[in-house]
Amino acid sequence: MIRFLNALAIMALIGSALYAYSIKYETIFYSEQIVKIRHDIDREHDAIAVLEAEWAHLIRPERIQALADKHLDLQPQALNQIVRPNDVPERQVKVDMIGRKLEALGLSEPTSTPIDITPTDNGTTPSSQQ
Amino acid sequence: MHVTTPDDGLEPKTKAAGAELPRWRRILRDLFRTRIDKSASRIRLVATLFSCLFLIIAGRLIYLGTKPDPQSLKRAVSEAVAAARPAILDRNGEVLAADVQNMSVYAEPRRILDKDEAVELLTAVLPDLDANDLREKLGSRKGFVWIKRGISRREQQEVFRLGLPGVNFQRENKRIYPNGPVAAHVLGATNVDNQGIAGIEKYIDGQGLADLNGAGFRLTPENLNPINLSLDLHATYIVREELRKGIEKFKAKAGAAAILDVNTGEVIAMASLPDFDPSNPVDALKSDNIDRMTVGVYEMGSTFKALSIAMAIEANKANLASRVDAHTSLRYGRFTIHDFHAQNRILSVPEVFTYSSNIGAARLALMVGVDGHQDFLRKMGQLDRMRTELPESAEPLKPKRWSEISTATIAFGQGLNVAPLQAMMAVGALMNGGYLITPTFLKRSAEEARKVAVRVVRPETSEAMRYLMRLNAEVGSAKAADKKGYFVGGKTGTADKQFHGHYASDRVLTTFMAIVPSDQPRYLVLAMMDEPQGLPETGGYRTAAWNSGAVAGAIVERVMPLLGLPPRFDPPVQPFPDLPKLGVTALNNNGSGAH
Repeated sequence: MIRFLNALAIMALIGSALYAYSIKYETIFYSEQIVKIRHDIDREHDAIAVLEAEWAHLIRPERIQALADKHLDLQPQALNQIVRPNDVPERQVKVDMIGRKLEALGLSEPTSTPIDITPTDNGTTPSSQQ
Repeated sequence: MHVTTPDDGLEPKTKAAGAELPRWRRILRDLFRTRIDKSASRIRLVATLFSCLFLIIAGRLIYLGTKPDPQSLKRAVSEAVAAARPAILDRNGEVLAADVQNMSVYAEPRRILDKDEAVELLTAVLPDLDANDLREKLGSRKGFVWIKRGISRREQQEVFRLGLPGVNFQRENKRIYPNGPVAAHVLGATNVDNQGIAGIEKYIDGQGLADLNGAGFRLTPENLNPINLSLDLHATYIVREELRKGIEKFKAKAGAAAILDVNTGEVIAMASLPDFDPSNPVDALKSDNIDRMTVGVYEMGSTFKALSIAMAIEANKANLASRVDAHTSLRYGRFTIHDFHAQNRILSVPEVFTYSSNIGAARLALMVGVDGHQDFLRKMGQLDRMRTELPESAEPLKPKRWSEISTATIAFGQGLNVAPLQAMMAVGALMNGGYLITPTFLKRSAEEARKVAVRVVRPETSEAMRYLMRLNAEVGSAKAADKKGYFVGGKTGTADKQFHGHYASDRVLTTFMAIVPSDQPRYLVLAMMDEPQGLPETGGYRTAAWNSGAVAGAIVERVMPLLGLPPRFDPPVQPFPDLPKLGVTALNNNGSGAH
């Protein structure tokens, strides 16, 4: 009985030692991971700072103005180009201008094109098609 | 355990043992036997020896503690490395200055085995290094020397592949200014160690950043809050651009322009030409590149008449209906004060302003007297050095002896040199209802500004001055800046420059101040040009209305919509409600009957 208890105690000792070791190594592993991720974060921060600086350099007004002068047909904004919302004309009622024009020309009415009334063999005259 | 006392157990035992042992063993045993009665001297000797030993150790410890550290590498590196600085943003969060990381390569000369080989290899990889200089550095007995700062990734790889012992890399911060010379004078510059040497950069260091770095805190860009300036990047760019165009057109030597928020004292935009690129700090120190807004002092010319008239009104010596004799020139011994646009008649106070009458302004100032004049100018901050966040500033140049002539000439802007931003502060106080607010380059709200503001003139005086400014833009010399919809008020100033002790009329300094809008003032615009030339299209005139006025007008037109101030389409009803109290009854509506 005593021997069994001793064996059990030794087993428990070895087991707890192993467990403690595994936890210790896991901790070391995770702390290494943390350091690594911190380094990554630092690197990303640096990269973001560089990109932000680069972006600020690219959108500096001097450059944008030069590009706009070269590639766009825009003029500097004049004060008379600024209007109040009230001064914007009301939107017109939507009108089908082309349709009206056609109507005015009388093109929408049924045409007086003579219809070929002689029946054909296959019945594919344009007028018979629906 | 049982402790035996020498009397009972030990004594007889040792004696018995001593009797039977050989002689040499007895001597040896006596040597190691401790008996309080016999070995006192020996014990004392041992105690002394040990005391000496401990004293030596203690002394050595104290010596090591007080001795300056043998410079450890880590410490040397952290001291030499360029410190992190907070980013500088404009009022809308656009980047004006930021840190980026780069690599620098350094060496520990003591650990380098073959110096000649190291020099040869390093100069092969980094061709712009000077071999002699490098050999000298590596031959020194220092623990740490920089080889090259700010190397590219490719260079780093190549140096790494050399595999030289004692050659290492260190990550450093490098300051960059993405907008080049825009706002350069406000930002200032930093040196290679990332310490501020001018402008806001130096101001930041003065706020404790340098101390933190010096104390060994490792500051990274992430744990530093960015600094928000009052500047608007786009407005600053436009101001600089319009000023540059104006200087080019009128072949001026130099110029400056700024926009001041009169209610908060914030400087919204500021430019001074010629300027420099902050990435190249050597240029920042050239004398031609000084900040003409804060470091240069100038005779502001007729813009100072606004102060003289405000002073007379504030002292109740005059109101807007008063009349001043500008019939003849004002004579003081060998000095004679003339008018540039001489009317040779009695002028009303508004006419003194719109015709820019030197005689009228001088007479108004003399009504207040020399002491009153000095007190008023001191109250308006024109006689003392103005301190802003920028470390660079200039003391006004005052007359050595302030006589009546001084008062008469200073009344129209000659004889007192002030920094243009200082003059803007005073005119801003006349515009904003009478509060003198020291300009700032940091963002702040109107409430914060009110806390530091000092009332210098009554609200009615301020309103009278706004009315005069507006009148001058409608019928006077400031028409150039009267942009439709902004109800601009303005004042020109053309001062002859002193040249070999004389005022030379062909060398002028022209200034223009515009207030936008006059009824509810928001922004004060100043444009200034040093020695502009007359052009055929200006009829050969080099006066302020033609050059500085045009620049200020262009700035108003381009910048105001950008600052969220839309043009108004109807002129304000009753822009100056208090005017009847000030003696103006007939001219109540936009000064239509001024002449």
